[in-house]
Amino acid sequence: MRDVMKHLIRSPQGAVGLFILVVAALMVCGGAHIAPYDPESISILARYKAPSAEHWFGTDQLGRDIFSRVMVGARATIVLSLLATLMSMVTGAVIGTASAYLGGKTDEAIMRTMDAVMSIPSLLFALLIVSTLGQSSFNAVLAITIAFVPGMVRIARSVSLAARQQDYVSAAIARGEATHYIILREMLPNIVAPIIVEATIRVAFAIMLFATLSFLGLGAQPPEPEWGLMVSEARAYFFNAPWMMLIPGVAIALVAIGFNLLGDGLRDALNPRSH
Amino acid sequence: MTASYLFKRFMLVIYTLLVVSLLVFGITQLLPADAAVTLLGQNATPQALAAVRARLGLNDPAWLQYWHWLRGVLHGDFGVSMRNGLPVAPTIMAALGRSLLLAVCALLLMLVVAIPLGIWAAVRRGKLADMLVSVLSYVGISFPEFVTATLLLLLFADVWQILPATGYVPLTEDFRGGISHLILPSVTVAMILVAHVSRMVRSEMVDVLQTDYIRAAHLKGLSRRRILWRHALRNGLLPTITIVALDVGYLLGGIVVVEEIFAIPGIGRELIVAVQARDLPTIQAGVLILAATYSIVNFLADLAYVFLDKRISYA
Amino acid sequence: MCAMKGVNRRQFIAGSTILTGAAMLPWSGNVAAAVSSATDASGSPRKGGVLRISVDQAAGMLNPQQARVNPEYLLAELLYSGLTRLTQDMKAEADLAESWKASDDLTQWTFTLRKNLSFHDGSACTSADVVASLNAILDPKNASPGQHNIGPIKTVTAPDADTVVIGTDGPYADLPVMLAYPDAKIIPAAIAGGQPERLSKEAIGTGPFKLVSFEPERLIVVERNPHYYDPSRPHLDRVEVVVYPDAIAEGSALIAGDTDLMLSAASTEFARLSKSSGIVPLRVSSGQFLNVNMGCDTKPFNDVRVRQALALCVDRKATVDFVAEGYGTAGNDTPLNTAYPYYLNEPLKEPDYAKAKALLKDAGYPDGLDLTLIASDKPSTRTQLGIALREMAKPGGFRINVQTMAHSTYLDQVWKKGNFYVGFYNMQPTPDAVFSLLYTSTASWNETRWNNTEFDTAVKAARETADPAKRTELYGKAQKLMHDQVPSLIPAFFDLLAAGRDYVAGYQLHPRGAVFRLDHVWLTAKAPTRK
Repeated sequence: MRDVMKHLIRSPQGAVGLFILVVAALMVCGGAHIAPYDPESISILARYKAPSAEHWFGTDQLGRDIFSRVMVGARATIVLSLLATLMSMVTGAVIGTASAYLGGKTDEAIMRTMDAVMSIPSLLFALLIVSTLGQSSFNAVLAITIAFVPGMVRIARSVSLAARQQDYVSAAIARGEATHYIILREMLPNIVAPIIVEATIRVAFAIMLFATLSFLGLGAQPPEPEWGLMVSEARAYFFNAPWMMLIPGVAIALVAIGFNLLGDGLRDALNPRSH
Repeated sequence: MTASYLFKRFMLVIYTLLVVSLLVFGITQLLPADAAVTLLGQNATPQALAAVRARLGLNDPAWLQYWHWLRGVLHGDFGVSMRNGLPVAPTIMAALGRSLLLAVCALLLMLVVAIPLGIWAAVRRGKLADMLVSVLSYVGISFPEFVTATLLLLLFADVWQILPATGYVPLTEDFRGGISHLILPSVTVAMILVAHVSRMVRSEMVDVLQTDYIRAAHLKGLSRRRILWRHALRNGLLPTITIVALDVGYLLGGIVVVEEIFAIPGIGRELIVAVQARDLPTIQAGVLILAATYSIVNFLADLAYVFLDKRISYA
Repeated sequence: MCAMKGVNRRQFIAGSTILTGAAMLPWSGNVAAAVSSATDASGSPRKGGVLRISVDQAAGMLNPQQARVNPEYLLAELLYSGLTRLTQDMKAEADLAESWKASDDLTQWTFTLRKNLSFHDGSACTSADVVASLNAILDPKNASPGQHNIGPIKTVTAPDADTVVIGTDGPYADLPVMLAYPDAKIIPAAIAGGQPERLSKEAIGTGPFKLVSFEPERLIVVERNPHYYDPSRPHLDRVEVVVYPDAIAEGSALIAGDTDLMLSAASTEFARLSKSSGIVPLRVSSGQFLNVNMGCDTKPFNDVRVRQALALCVDRKATVDFVAEGYGTAGNDTPLNTAYPYYLNEPLKEPDYAKAKALLKDAGYPDGLDLTLIASDKPSTRTQLGIALREMAKPGGFRINVQTMAHSTYLDQVWKKGNFYVGFYNMQPTPDAVFSLLYTSTASWNETRWNNTEFDTAVKAARETADPAKRTELYGKAQKLMHDQVPSLIPAFFDLLAAGRDYVAGYQLHPRGAVFRLDHVWLTAKAPTRK
């Protein structure tokens, strides 16, 4: 573990990625306290103000301070995307590993079904699920999770297949351990690394997907200061106040880049070949 | 490539389509508000709603509705849209055609840009060029499509006025004009693909260039260019085929945003409107055709992969 | 165009002074300056040309009697005709009916049709078709949006091929105006009785244009009808209706010259369009409004003090800014504004938080009140109003949670059933139309369930008389009741906004929002030629 961290920090991608994410984490935890204004209080006189000393990021169409909204919105945007990715990762890992272990016809059936689900574009799938459950942040998270699961299952399975051949699994079987013990306690810990790499990159996808769902009116709902929603609402005002769309847009981009860099850095750090 | 393998793959496609149709049908049964409500909107009296529901067959139990639909499909009849009474199949196929056109343009653009970029970065590994490509690709995948689409639209159609603001003019009407209309939407979509694929090409090429096989070729005195083109490239490109095939799913249903902004009546847009209107036949047909296209493309990609792989092994 | 032959003086006055108020409205002067295109003064209309008009959503319903949204109203107007049409100042002018007269008690209306009318397929259009069409609209099985909106019609008969007699349920002064409703179009009797589905794919009407091609999500093309009853119109050869789902792209298309006219412009685009060269911005004050409906028969809104308290929290001018970007007029909790005749000009309510808190305390809520407000996602201004209201009502002690939902779900589960939600309505042609649609006890869309008998009596009496003085008094009373008792909050009215290129002449924005009159539009010599 320490080795991995050392390699990570040494590489430029890992270092930058880690830095960005530490800043993001600070915003998530302390955002509400740093925010100088109430992110929801509207003001007739302060509409469409450009960034200035009083309002660092300017104000929006209702006179709300954008800096405060970005700070508070970090929580909604990042935590929700992380949640979706985490849930899909866990579900995918369990199903994928189980499928790999069980092998044979069951494995075949599970994988074919996963392939079938993957053939529905994730945006469409998310759309159907949100339409069924109702428009809210949580349902969007659920929808993205379900859409991501088949991909995660695939990766988990292929890694598990490799792990399955390993000696320690045969030893466990010889010992007479229960199936679920083998899957959860022997195989799972060893396949975690590649899945984590994939997951960090998926978080960036999740943020994008969330923002796109908001653009279509299916993600976070107003007046939540979720970044994707802020960008999609601000599109209409681009000519009056371009900062309204650009600032949260850059925020999304930076966090997405951070996760991508971290993922690449982790991949290099965990890959023995590149040392 | 045995006949039994082909048959098995074909059955797999059928199985996929069946699962997809059941899944989507199941979900649509759970949707709140039905087609009758969205059709009649604010004029819905209970009797009118009942009349429309009876006419659309919405009162039948779910399995019966599915069975009717399935039987129709096996006869080539995809039903009639609940929104406007027009037959579903022609509308969906026309919409699919437009999305495919956009997808093909984006793919071509991507191939022309991403592969050379990836190779260039791999060859100049660790140097400035590599870092530049890296940075550009990170930026490319970090903005949501509707942001890039808006910025491109405003720059090229509004401020500079060198490209049209709409994405779709039938090529049959006006070929050159039609192509110019497709430029902005294709570039928007291609940006993400380029970022994706160039990184993949780069990392695969880096791996390939370090193999003993390539080193041996070097030692044998083969020219650098020859090594690149004849040996490294083929090996490096194989995974690209898989990635591209997987991206087709994104390209077809996922570019709704681009379709909406550039007013291209493609299949993504068509499906979103159908879901909002609870138009079951259109939703079913649309998703099915998307899944079928995706399966077929992946099947072809698998074939291509095996074909190329064999040739390489024997080279 | 308004040839009302054979009408004696009394009925003429009865017919046209219903809305004389409109001519005296303070805004009429401004309207003329703001809405007309740049070139209507430059001589007589030129024949020919192709007009490309952009709309922001698909026109799915080709059947005019089922039209519900603006692009569908546009198509209905292009391809079909009704008995009457609306003029710019909300009066009825002749369409298929060249004249009409009413019995003394205003219950029997006789319409005389023009001679030699024909449908697009060549068949003759006679009174039998009118009877069948009106009956189809009134038939509840067809669920036409016009069913409750063309007046309280009891009988429709055709004594001969050129005459239609309509009997109303009680005296009804506004019938000719109501018959101009966008869905009240005349279709062939055979289709009305037998196969209305044919009209989903074909258009067999008597309108100024004929259908050429129909792709509802993309493009609809119509061309001039050479057999239209008025040989001098339409001026255009062809009209192409193009669908642009995205407002920014629609604006860019107009700026780039890909389109010639925009049916309606988003308030956020309007400033940009106004500044672009070659584009004429169009704006007209209208009675389109957002309201906040409160269920007056359940807690907590059954107590008028709670409703009044909420009304005292709203800054109406600020709402116009937030929700309409300033392109609108403030509302005083009645559905009428200066765009309507018989508007009662009361002083605008101002926020008074102390009074609001006191009223809430009297009603039994000393610690304030928690509420959930539902806003559908179409149009997005509903949510904006919800958010603005939430913030404005906080100091008054109201803790409002805004909940958005898909429009279809809203129609299914909330509309007319919910206790506290945001509504959105186009302008209606008469005060009676809007009162009877929404606020009387027998209204077809009685969302507030206010059921105030005094109000009902006033509205009923006003519709049965043609005397403007009496109507002013009665409608004034009705407005005062709504203003004081607040069955729904109506803080803002929208101006209608649109834009067109400067070579488009003869187009005027109509405050009704559903009337376009493209058969009066022509293109000047500056227009580009489109093939």
